[in-house]
Amino acid sequence: MILKHVWGLFVNPKREWEAIRDDECTIGKCYAIHVLILAAIPAISGFIGTTQFGWQLGAGDPVKLTLQSAGLIAVLYYLAMLVGVYTIGWMIHWMSGTYGAKTMLSQCVVLAAYTATPLFLIGVMELYPILWLNMVLGLPALAYSIYLLYSGVPVMMGISEERGFLFSSAVLAFGLVAFVALLAVTAILWGMGLEPQFTR
Amino acid sequence: MTDQQTYNYTVVRQFAIMTIVWGIVGMLVGVFIAAQLAWPALNFDIPWLTFGRLRPLHTNAVIFAFGGSALFATSYYVVQRTCHVRLISDKLAAFTFWGWQLIILSAAITLPLGITTSKEYAELEWPIDILITIVWVVYAVVFFGTIAKRKVKHIYVANWFYGAYIITIALLHVVNSAEVPVTLFKSYSAYAGVQDAMVQWWYGHNAVGFFLTAGFLGMMYYFIPKQAGRPVYSYRLSVVHFWALIFTYIWAGPHHLHYTALPDWAQSLGMVMSLILLAPSWGGMINGIMTLSGAWDKLRTDPVLRLLIVSVSFYGMSTFEGPMMSIKTVNALSHYTDWTIGHVHSGALGWVALISMGSMYYLIPRLFDRELYSLKMVEVHFWTSTIGIVLYISSMWVAGIMQGLMWRATNADGTLTYSFVETVQAMHPYYIVRFLGGGFFLFGTLVMAVNLWKTIAGAKPAVGIIPAPAAAH
Repeated sequence: MILKHVWGLFVNPKREWEAIRDDECTIGKCYAIHVLILAAIPAISGFIGTTQFGWQLGAGDPVKLTLQSAGLIAVLYYLAMLVGVYTIGWMIHWMSGTYGAKTMLSQCVVLAAYTATPLFLIGVMELYPILWLNMVLGLPALAYSIYLLYSGVPVMMGISEERGFLFSSAVLAFGLVAFVALLAVTAILWGMGLEPQFTR
Repeated sequence: MTDQQTYNYTVVRQFAIMTIVWGIVGMLVGVFIAAQLAWPALNFDIPWLTFGRLRPLHTNAVIFAFGGSALFATSYYVVQRTCHVRLISDKLAAFTFWGWQLIILSAAITLPLGITTSKEYAELEWPIDILITIVWVVYAVVFFGTIAKRKVKHIYVANWFYGAYIITIALLHVVNSAEVPVTLFKSYSAYAGVQDAMVQWWYGHNAVGFFLTAGFLGMMYYFIPKQAGRPVYSYRLSVVHFWALIFTYIWAGPHHLHYTALPDWAQSLGMVMSLILLAPSWGGMINGIMTLSGAWDKLRTDPVLRLLIVSVSFYGMSTFEGPMMSIKTVNALSHYTDWTIGHVHSGALGWVALISMGSMYYLIPRLFDRELYSLKMVEVHFWTSTIGIVLYISSMWVAGIMQGLMWRATNADGTLTYSFVETVQAMHPYYIVRFLGGGFFLFGTLVMAVNLWKTIAGAKPAVGIIPAPAAAH
């Protein structure tokens, strides 16, 4: 069933993680029923928000992106999210031996995919970009994702809470590193002439 | 009991307590100037409360007063404990304590008065520079003298890191602070133009590399195994990354001068060396994380371990971010923006401050023969400081990238899209979030201070009896 675990992750995360674990979903199916759909929310919202409404920087007219530029960015954004989920899942799998877990790669990718749920959903706010408001709304979503990570790792990896805490911290550290790498790649692309095209 | 059968804990205690005191002072100034950036009226039109004067006070207080005291305290403790011998001279050790406090006091007076060399992280004027040199040489004599009369053959790796930090800081300080005095309170650098800039950032980046990294790695290599109750994950790795780190760091300075008058080849060399630096940095991080990871069974009872895990994680993150930002194309966007400020604080708050605080939680109860007053308060400290750092760096990422993009945005006719003041105005919400992040971190520090105060109030100083060295195996 499409999106079947989303509600439960907010109502009763611990039980939902157990249900997700027992599903033993494959990577393809997990992407089909969850990642491909949810990752579209921020990508499409961002495209509409930046082309139709734009955002305010100080005084003056709102800044918008040209359709072409925003379209390219939305596609890259979507792909980056798909690749990002898989990469984090792959890293979780790579580190799992260190923390005494024996789990298939698919379960690790599933863990990464469901952990990101709040971040995908909050992407809807990009429909109407008000930068400070987006930050105020985005931080709780981020915090909830981190909570899902810490509660999900022990369940999905079948390890104790204490080991889970260390494992989750390692995953979080990798997530930060991956985010910084993404920032750097973005800055390099911009520097090479692929900068967003503003209309103002 | 004669002195030679006990460790000199007096100087360690003094520096440990001043670590906490200067930590609070330095962070309070930091939060205040963060508030000034969000609400400029807070300088009240009083010259010595302006950002330009208080900012060097903040950096000097947190780096040299807080960080410096933590390094003195831990290096004196570690060198004695791992060499099984008392410091060679109580008098010289006491001289370094009072001398260092005098330097801090002089900084706290001269900087708000606007007396400065204008060299970043080396703002103190020439009479104070001379005092620093004297205190530092005495520090080196005490430290290496103690190693020289050690009772165990092996020199533990933490001492290598402390030793490298002491030697390199002496070199950096003397070369960079070479200056021509004009009056008692004013001097000019001995170098001119781009040479001056290069010497300055050779100094500046190695202040990060040796003061804020090598010294604190020494701390990591003693206190993390102690707190975790296990040996270092890989001793071989610790030695390999020591040599790699000290060899590579010294070349990385030019990345502060991308796209300036510095010759292009020097900029590229600085960038390449900064990228290589990732490997030794991560060698240290992996060693710390893996040492901690084996102690997972203690996590439930020991929140200090969590603090140490977060600190090493931020070390890994910021030593990845640094090389990324040294790439010229990235730097073209990030330089002079708040991204840099965020990067510095993920290292300074996340790594340097948390590893120091974790070490103080280990050290201070032992220096007074007491149990830590409250583990619950450590838990509170852990969460407030972590949230504070996350707020700080995430707001600076957004602010920095916006600044970078706005500054380089041009209209079709080639004119700039934004005036500078528009970019300042756009920063306002992020500066408020940054202020909140700093506030959270300061609150955590205050909780730690109360906790440690409750721990030692009324306690008698502990006497450290030197145990017989273990037989060689």
